[in-house]
Amino acid sequence: MVAALFAAPLAPVVAGLALVVGDRSIRSVSRHTAYIVSLVAMLASLLASIVVAYDRPVLDRQWVPEVGMRLHLAVDGISVPLLLMTAAVGVLVVLHARHEQPAGGTPATFFGCLLLVIGGGIATFLVQDAISFFLAFEVVLVPMWVLINRFGDRRDPRERARAAGTFVLYTVLGSTLMLVGILTMSFAAGTTDLAGLAANPMSPGKQTAVAALLLIGLGIKVPMWPLHSWLPRAHTVAPTAGSILLAAVLLKMGTYGVVRLVVAPLPDGVERLAPYVGTCAVIGIIWGGLVCLVERSLKRLVAWSSVAHMGFVLLGLMSGTTIGLQAALFANIAHGVISALLFAVVGGLKHRWGDDDLDTARRSLRDVSPRLSLALVIGFAASMGLPGLAGFWGEVLAIFGAWTPGGDRPTGWFRVLAMFASLGAVLAAGYALRVLRIVWHGPAEGGLPPEPEPAGDARGNEWLVTSVLSAATIVLGVIPLILLQTTSGAVDQLMAVIGR
Amino acid sequence: MKLTYDWLLLAPVLFPAIGSVLLLVIDAVAPRLGRVHWAIAAVLLLAGAAAAVPGTLPSADNPRRTLCLPPNTCLYAVDHVGVGLQLTALVSGAVVALLALPIRVPAERAAVQATLVLAATAGATGVVAARDLGSWLVMLELATLPAIALVALRARRAAVDGALALLTTSLVSFAITAMGAALWFAATGSALFSGDAVLHASNDPDSRRILVLAVVFIVAGLAFKISLVPFHAWTPEAFGGASVPIGAFLAVTSKVAALAALLVIFRGVTVLGTSALAAIGVLSALSMTLGNLMALREKKTLRFLAWSTVSQAGWVVLPLATVSSRAVRSAAAYLIVYAVATLVAFIVVTALAHADGREHATRLSSYGGLLQRRPLLAVTLALALLTLMGLPPAVIGLVAKVAAIGPVAGSRLWVLAIIAAINAMLGVAVYLRWLRILFGARKDPDNPEALHPVHQTLVIVGALALVVTSIAPHSLLQLVGR
Repeated sequence: MVAALFAAPLAPVVAGLALVVGDRSIRSVSRHTAYIVSLVAMLASLLASIVVAYDRPVLDRQWVPEVGMRLHLAVDGISVPLLLMTAAVGVLVVLHARHEQPAGGTPATFFGCLLLVIGGGIATFLVQDAISFFLAFEVVLVPMWVLINRFGDRRDPRERARAAGTFVLYTVLGSTLMLVGILTMSFAAGTTDLAGLAANPMSPGKQTAVAALLLIGLGIKVPMWPLHSWLPRAHTVAPTAGSILLAAVLLKMGTYGVVRLVVAPLPDGVERLAPYVGTCAVIGIIWGGLVCLVERSLKRLVAWSSVAHMGFVLLGLMSGTTIGLQAALFANIAHGVISALLFAVVGGLKHRWGDDDLDTARRSLRDVSPRLSLALVIGFAASMGLPGLAGFWGEVLAIFGAWTPGGDRPTGWFRVLAMFASLGAVLAAGYALRVLRIVWHGPAEGGLPPEPEPAGDARGNEWLVTSVLSAATIVLGVIPLILLQTTSGAVDQLMAVIGR
Repeated sequence: MKLTYDWLLLAPVLFPAIGSVLLLVIDAVAPRLGRVHWAIAAVLLLAGAAAAVPGTLPSADNPRRTLCLPPNTCLYAVDHVGVGLQLTALVSGAVVALLALPIRVPAERAAVQATLVLAATAGATGVVAARDLGSWLVMLELATLPAIALVALRARRAAVDGALALLTTSLVSFAITAMGAALWFAATGSALFSGDAVLHASNDPDSRRILVLAVVFIVAGLAFKISLVPFHAWTPEAFGGASVPIGAFLAVTSKVAALAALLVIFRGVTVLGTSALAAIGVLSALSMTLGNLMALREKKTLRFLAWSTVSQAGWVVLPLATVSSRAVRSAAAYLIVYAVATLVAFIVVTALAHADGREHATRLSSYGGLLQRRPLLAVTLALALLTLMGLPPAVIGLVAKVAAIGPVAGSRLWVLAIIAAINAMLGVAVYLRWLRILFGARKDPDNPEALHPVHQTLVIVGALALVVTSIAPHSLLQLVGR
């Protein structure tokens, strides 16, 4: 079953490259062909991911001995949910792209870039070698840049170029800082293997410096306040499919990197930096919530809510407790599903409305498109952390973990952080209700705008995508144990290594 | 005294050296053969490269020596790193010859140019192996001085200006290097680069002081040739003035020679400890930063490539700022990857300049929509730029970046590592500019012609080289050993 390890990342990457290159060299690929090729590649990749998740094969080969890079692919409880989510979101993104193909380039290029981003994400969650991890991390950059720069919002080319440039430059800076950290660790440990790095920790003083470097580098990707400013811009401009991938795949790569490269191999460094990073995380939660209360652009609002939600994930990671780590991993997946749902809906609305300004008076969505409005309600209800939906568990458990932090972390300060984080949850309820009032309910004064707007309801692939994501949001909220049990084994193991 | 010779080992130097004389003889016997000279030059350089290949095998002795005097001093020695550099110099020289082949120049000029390229390449391969001061200095100058004539031979106003800038710099750098060499001799009392003599000199406080001065002079002299900031001023002038293939020669073959020369004396630098290394670190940081910042604003292709060379030169010497055992190999590995990527970029520019006219290839804006107009050229150029950025799908560039940062991170030189990270970002911004133009709005020249078959073949070979080395980076990096 080693073949599945290759198939999962390579099916989308190879198909993506073939689409991008084939589009130029032979003759232009039709939209239908591009869609079918992408769908087949993604289904194959999803199938392979499922096989990998059940079978857990391992592959370990020499690749580039000059820089100590190995081809080491495997999964554990921490990466399996991310792997499956990425592959599943990949299929949904391809389905959605069939429904909404933005102008700006050929369909084959669009689908090809989507596939390359997904393939890079899958590879990130499979590799067990720190330098290959960096490679997989970088794979998504250029295709994502093309997605934003060429297929982004048609209205303002300069803003598009700026958003794409900001995204790529921020991320390259972050990942190169991460590379410096990785190389320092691997030089000290004499191995580039992720498990090997965790098994040979450095002295506490060095750990702090390396952890700081890695947290800044990965914090850009996550994103952590105050390194988040690329995110709202990129999300606002990106096409819907690109936004879904940004939220559901790219941000997860950052948090996954924090777990693998910082929390596991540098426990002492994390312990020392935890109060600071936790503070940044909570500032992010509050900051994001406050911006969402006044933001006019709906898509940008969802992007800002991502900053807030990722704050909970970071807070959980920094708490140093089993429950906090579990919460972070859960919130990570939950955010992936919820934000994918929200971006699918909001992107669809922006497409219908022509813009996404909340100040424009429109007919209430429940009248115009009941299906989309249902998905919007589920998404924002989950976003505000309503019990019974996916958003609840991760955030509650993260606050719980922060209340009794592990190790020598200052309990008092973490309790303050936990309190402020709860305040952030209240803000989330505030902005979620604000959006629902404006969009779902319509203008509060009553009385419809004079002309009915030509806004159809979700059909076909769009309906399929939003309903699958809504269902996943509800399932994760009602039976969180399916996810918590998958991660618990690996988390216990990790905590045992850290607690040594 | 009896010298021993191993002709096979000397072949990589002898082929181009004897070849340059041969070309002049041919020209005297049958004048005005024109492009035949370039063809002969390319064949000779490739033959030299073939002769170097056995040394790259893992089973080859490391180092391999010849020109040995009894009891045990050898004047010519190549290790795995050296043979990789020789191979790079020879292959890049051959590519330059092939690039120049279709370009129409007055027939009497071709012979001279081809001779100069051969002579300079002989110098580049020779300096790698030189183990005594005299031949090191001679070979180094042989590798760089012909470049002045090569630039000037385009016989345009800009070319003469560029050649003049290069001439002045070369003279200054020669003087400085020669001064350094003399001081080196004074300090170590030996004309050989033997480790013992250097160690001995560094232990004695008086001769140590002289050795420090010698190293400072030599590093400064070489920094001119590697075009490290603040010794870089000639680079944009010379690149902008020269014909495009000669630009490739300046950017690749000359750089290989200069770095090889630095590696030969690097042992002397490491003995002196951190202050000398810190000087290299400063040069590296300055070059990366200034090169990138200037390239960000540059509108002319060749000058853009010149600034890119300046910043990449900073990356090449970055590992040499550490005492890491991997420093030399990392620098050589980065240089080889840089050489391949830069050569491919120059191949594309030359091919385009030949087909569309020079003025349609020397402005960055004239690359608008190249992806639609000439997809082969655009994809190849994009791959080369991605390699220089160090981003996938050009994995080889990313691996080179890892190799360059590795020793710095391993020695925990935080400041330098962070400057390198910032420059990785700036580099992406620099090359993305050009990449965006390739994807951008289409801009057709007045009378485009088909690519010359030689250029087209080189473009395809270059693209394939980047693709293959990206799938299996090991295949390229093993040239400089493990």
